[in-house]
Amino acid sequence: IGDPSLLRSLNGNTVLISGKAATSPAENYHLARRRTLQVVVSALLTECGFESAEKAAVETLTEMMQSYITEIGRCAKAYCEHTARSVPTLADTVVTLIEMGFNADTLPVYAKRSQRMVITAPPVTNAPVTPKALSAGQKRTHPAYIPSHFPEFPDPHTYIKTPTFREPVSDYQVVREKAASQKRDVERALTRFMAKTGETQSLFKDDITAFPLIAAQPSSIPYLSALLPSELELQTLEETDSSEQDDQTDSENAAGNLINDDPGGDKENSMLPPSGVPSAKASEENVIDNPYLRPVKKPKVRRKK
Amino acid sequence: MLCYYDIQIVRRNLASYVDIIWIYCPALLLSFSLVLFKQTKLGPKSGPTEKGLSSFCVHIVSLLVRGLSSLSDVASGLKYLQGKRQNKPEMCCVHNVQVNRTGYVELTIFPTVVNLNRIKLNSKQCRIYRVRVNELEAPFIYNDPTLEVCHHESKQRNLNYFSSAYTAAVSAVDPDAGHGELVIKVPPELWKQGDDLKVLKVYIEFSLDQPKGGLHFVVPDVEGSMAERGAHVFSFGYQNSTRFWFPCVDSYSELCTWKLEFTVDASMVAVSCGDLVETIYTHDMRKKTYHYVLPIPTAAPNISLAVGPFEILVDPYMHEVTHFCLPQLLPLLKHSMSYLHEIFEFYEEILTCRYPYSCFKTVFVDEAYVQLSSYASMSIFSTNLLHSATIIDQTPLTRRCLAQALAQQFFDLKQADEWVLKGISGYIYGLYLKKTFGVNEYRHWIKEELDKIVEYELKMGGVLLHPTFTGGKEKDNPTPHLHFSIKHPHTLSWEYFKMFQCKAHLVMRLIENRISMEFMLQVFNKLLSLASTASSQKYQSHMWSQMLLSTHAFLKSISNVSGKDIGPLIKQWVDQSSVVKFFGSFAFNRKRNVLELEIRQDYTSSGTQKYVGPIKVTVQELDGSFNHTLQIEENSLKHDIPCHSKSRRNKKKKIPLMNGEEVDMDLSAMDADSPLLWIRIDPDMSILRKVEFEQADFMWQYQLRYERDVVAQEEAISALEKFPTPASRLALTDILEQEQCFYKVRMQACFCLAKIANSMVSTWQGPPAMKSLFTRMFCCKSCPNIVKTNNFISFQSYFLQKTMPVAMALLRDVHNLCPKDVLNFILDLIKYNDNRKNKFSDNYYRADLIEALTNSLTPAISISNEVRTVDNLNADVRLILEEITRFLNMEKLLPSFRNTITVRCLSAIRQLQRNGHIPSDASLFKSYAEYGHFVDVRVAALEALVDYTRVERSSAELQWLLNMVQNDPAHYVRHKILGMLSKNPPFTKTTDSALCNEALVDQLWKLMNSGTSHDWRLRCDAVNLYYTLFGLTRPSCLPLPELGLVLNLKEKKAVLNPTIKPELEVGPVVDTPASIGIHGGLKRKAETPLGSPPEPGQVLQQQDDDARGGHFKIRFNTMEDEDIDMETVHDSQAFIHQHLHLLERPSTPGKEPPSVEQSLLSMPATPVPSFSKETSSLASKHAGEHGHHHHHHHHEHKKKKKKHKHKHKHKHKHESKDKEKDRERDNSHAYSNSPASGRSLRSPSMSD
Repeated sequence: IGDPSLLRSLNGNTVLISGKAATSPAENYHLARRRTLQVVVSALLTECGFESAEKAAVETLTEMMQSYITEIGRCAKAYCEHTARSVPTLADTVVTLIEMGFNADTLPVYAKRSQRMVITAPPVTNAPVTPKALSAGQKRTHPAYIPSHFPEFPDPHTYIKTPTFREPVSDYQVVREKAASQKRDVERALTRFMAKTGETQSLFKDDITAFPLIAAQPSSIPYLSALLPSELELQTLEETDSSEQDDQTDSENAAGNLINDDPGGDKENSMLPPSGVPSAKASEENVIDNPYLRPVKKPKVRRKK
Repeated sequence: MLCYYDIQIVRRNLASYVDIIWIYCPALLLSFSLVLFKQTKLGPKSGPTEKGLSSFCVHIVSLLVRGLSSLSDVASGLKYLQGKRQNKPEMCCVHNVQVNRTGYVELTIFPTVVNLNRIKLNSKQCRIYRVRVNELEAPFIYNDPTLEVCHHESKQRNLNYFSSAYTAAVSAVDPDAGHGELVIKVPPELWKQGDDLKVLKVYIEFSLDQPKGGLHFVVPDVEGSMAERGAHVFSFGYQNSTRFWFPCVDSYSELCTWKLEFTVDASMVAVSCGDLVETIYTHDMRKKTYHYVLPIPTAAPNISLAVGPFEILVDPYMHEVTHFCLPQLLPLLKHSMSYLHEIFEFYEEILTCRYPYSCFKTVFVDEAYVQLSSYASMSIFSTNLLHSATIIDQTPLTRRCLAQALAQQFFDLKQADEWVLKGISGYIYGLYLKKTFGVNEYRHWIKEELDKIVEYELKMGGVLLHPTFTGGKEKDNPTPHLHFSIKHPHTLSWEYFKMFQCKAHLVMRLIENRISMEFMLQVFNKLLSLASTASSQKYQSHMWSQMLLSTHAFLKSISNVSGKDIGPLIKQWVDQSSVVKFFGSFAFNRKRNVLELEIRQDYTSSGTQKYVGPIKVTVQELDGSFNHTLQIEENSLKHDIPCHSKSRRNKKKKIPLMNGEEVDMDLSAMDADSPLLWIRIDPDMSILRKVEFEQADFMWQYQLRYERDVVAQEEAISALEKFPTPASRLALTDILEQEQCFYKVRMQACFCLAKIANSMVSTWQGPPAMKSLFTRMFCCKSCPNIVKTNNFISFQSYFLQKTMPVAMALLRDVHNLCPKDVLNFILDLIKYNDNRKNKFSDNYYRADLIEALTNSLTPAISISNEVRTVDNLNADVRLILEEITRFLNMEKLLPSFRNTITVRCLSAIRQLQRNGHIPSDASLFKSYAEYGHFVDVRVAALEALVDYTRVERSSAELQWLLNMVQNDPAHYVRHKILGMLSKNPPFTKTTDSALCNEALVDQLWKLMNSGTSHDWRLRCDAVNLYYTLFGLTRPSCLPLPELGLVLNLKEKKAVLNPTIKPELEVGPVVDTPASIGIHGGLKRKAETPLGSPPEPGQVLQQQDDDARGGHFKIRFNTMEDEDIDMETVHDSQAFIHQHLHLLERPSTPGKEPPSVEQSLLSMPATPVPSFSKETSSLASKHAGEHGHHHHHHHHEHKKKKKKHKHKHKHKHKHESKDKEKDRERDNSHAYSNSPASGRSLRSPSMSD
């Protein structure tokens, strides 16, 4: 940010842009209008008896005049659109004027006043040409049932989805290739990161950074991590056969209900997923007489003596 | 039961380790306190066991049946213990835990002979506080000769000598011979009673201090309470090892009923044999007592215990079956146990007999001694057998283990003649295999077992199933070829024991072949029902002997049921060791249309025997398959077999096979003149044999393609290795592709194909062997270089998919390198491996891919002395190394089941090192070998280390390994290290090595002599290693005894001392007999760094409360059962002190034996510095042959004596010794400093 050269170049750019704008036809058009307004204001001032006026005052009045006219135009346009028309009528303008607190009846009188000055028509300037919109695709013509006076269809890109990305590659080989290399990259990055951040062992004495191995850490209960499936595996398992899982839960419920009257019902029980255990167990406990499930007895009092 | 650790005694020996003791003191923390055993004792001779009990003649009746008394005994016992303990403030304050930490055992003995005045029991490690017989204090003597096998530190380093000494030591306490470590003298008041054959109740109060064997504590070093940490303890042992954790008659032939009580922390579960009657809280509600009753007469070795914070799973199919596993593993337990009921059903059905016990328990523990061990009504398994549903490879293994354990439940527990039981349980296990895994699997297994036993016997000499020992003398040793004695299970090497089991079930199968399966099962049923009737006869304990199964009873039962005489079969395979080795060849005589078969035998080389009898030969001809039974006789080698097929093959017709199938064959390959397709000798494997049969390659090919028996196919495959021709290649490829073919055959074909391809390397056409096949089977149709995403639904193709890359990697090109495209192919398999859609885990598959990478490695071409650096790494190796690194690192983040990936990575890295691609370095393996890694990983790392030790001849690593053998907490790992060292020895007796030096000899000798007394198996492993390294005779690296060079192990130096005579006169000769091992063992520990760890808790205590106090009987000569009466040497002053002391601490073990006796007992096992050759050889002769012993007074202050190592100081030494002796006499009331005196509670300073 503190780079002066950047600032300089920025400034240069602005200058360049503004210079361009001043010479553009649209700008000229507006300037001409403005000049006309200025003349009008000056004429009105003269009419009112002013000999001279400061430039700033004239400018301010011009500004006010422009705002007022613009407001009339905007309001009139609003009224006309409100009544579903596209071009304002006289009535629209009148309502507007009334709305703005102007007594419309005084207007003809004022217009016909004697001392009014005639102002020459503003110099003819070419109305600015609106640049042609970039046409994307073929515009649709009206179908037969739509009268021709209705507006044309807009450019297709305004209502048709335009793909902004490339067609994905569906070639099996490439997909596999990609998946494989992605997986490998992730794994490599991850392991390198782990190796960089933690203790490592090395296979080479000359270059310890080559093939870094994450150092072996003894764990206090090594069998747990070695035997229990990792969360990732469990997750993928659920994804792959969620349907089977559902079946199992069903049979579990059935088994739970059956267990009281049908000993054969336990058969499904062995298939219980771990989640279904507590409920099943609770119901089983009532039935199963296993010494290990019995409550622990309180010590007998006589032994105390 | 007990288990408190006596800190005091430990502190004395390991002064600086007190902190560590706390850590290693799991029992204390587990705090299970009291056990009451009711044991009753069976009389001798009544059993079928011929071993008999000569001096120990008692009779048994179940105490439980006697009702009332047992319960009140429990209570009184408790009270008694508590009362006594309160007098022991030190103990309480040291432990800061509950007082009653001892166990006690109560035996009820019914004498069957008059004059029962001594009772001998087995007990090791136990500290015995007191023994009472019928409420009277009874004096007892404790001595354990197996603590230290050879006592004098002579220069004898001869394995022959050791083996005989060890056998003698084991025999000396053999319960079947009526011996034991603990000899209790029945108080004379009771002699009268004994003469009337009235009941004797023996009550033994004991504790265990830091048990090194028998019980194993697993205490993970994490935060939390014991239960949260998953701390647990379980009993273990090799054969009859119950004596390690409580005094008993540790014999399979002594049956009695049991009542067991265990008080454990409230968060723990105690699982033991028999029915759980009730669980009761202690008064403070912090502990609970489990009460078990085992009404079926059971031998002590079948009693076990497991305590831990187990999760409990009641089997959903059979509510009387309960499973226990460690915390968090319940889901795995559920899955793994889900088919146990099927096994139950199967066995009960084929045996038409109910499971013998009323309940069954399976317990899964960490750091298990063996994968499975069976005890009465419970089995202890390794927790590593548990697996989730996603694991394929472990499933059949776990199921097999369960089936084996259950088979043992039916038979193994009624031991008498071991081979019968091992045989039957192995046999019914085989039936289960056949039913569950199919006939192919079964026959494959039988062939595997047969090959194993044949290989072992040919290499090591015969395995004898039923040895008979006539005199017990050395000369009558039925197996002179072995370096150990097979007289006792405890002297057997582990390998031999496994082979013994293997042979037993094979012989059982031979019997089945002879008498049919139906009869076989009838026999089993008969045996079982006899046993169950016998066991229900509660009041007639002599009937219990029926439960024991002897060879004789078994054979009788067979002849009753089947009416067949299987005597010759038994004689051949059971009473005789060794296998048969056949060589077969044939010629076809076209004129006579006769097959001339020649079968020769090799019965001269070791491990072979001569076979005479029938043999089946199957000949596949064009017209069909024909069985012929030939008679193998003494002198006839040739056998003429007429051929049936006269038809020539111009008639195109189908060829009938043995199983009735008819197939079309392309017969163009065969010999136009002969109708023979293939010949098989002994196709049913009804002889324990090795057959080397010669037939033409096309015959093997036909056999492979068309014979439906998997054994024949496998034989053909191994035979085809010798015929590297395109035809063989085609036959193998066809088999590989044939889906109906048994998958293990196809797997074997892969490796054979690789070998053939390597032999044909110059003429091989097309892509590398199996590549196109693999592509066709497992790769995508559209892009053949990419493997399909994994789907292991079909296990057959899964196994094939796993195996093929491994075999392919063995391919070599003309430069003897692995072809580039094979390597790339394997790398691609790894790269494109995608398991996301698979419902099974692919860890074994990935592990096999790593193995494939390993297999592809070939030795690096290197200029000598070039240092291996990253820069000069071969490009291919770099790729391989990268994969391995990534796999190994990923494993840290996402561990695979049983860490299979790490295991293979470690061996791959070792292979890289060995081939010189990367610098050879042991540190990586050392870190993985440490305690705290998963056991498979440790073993893999240790294997790499063993290999490193051999290749690099590194003595540091060897020391490291041996150190681990002595100190590692996991018994399995210790055993494994010794096993691997024997298998891949750093040097052998025939090779020279710098490693082979005196220090190593001494170290190993110490290890087997005294360092491994807590584990029979480990000791045998050590013996094996010693044998591998040094052979039977004196190791060659030792200086010759002729030089008069004497080893002083104590001071670790050799002294050249030619004038030793004076030494002989003055110096105490230390030929201590095997009987006083405790002292020697302990002293040595204190003094020499090389020494074995101490055996704490060995208590020798003498208590005599009666008027005749001070009457000590000490057994010195264990071999000849000679008693020396020490009455006369009693010192009255000492006696008074004893009594004083007794009053003070009534149950303190350390009662002072009189000084003279003390000096006797503390006779050190270390010799004086110099020692003549004559002395030692004389001594050894005495010890070994005559069992005659010198007893010398030798005081125990070895440290002082150490200073006097020169002979000119002898006089001085003698004086000082005398002085000390006097002083000792004066202070004889004080404790001696022998650690074995059991006086643990006194201050340690006294001993110094």
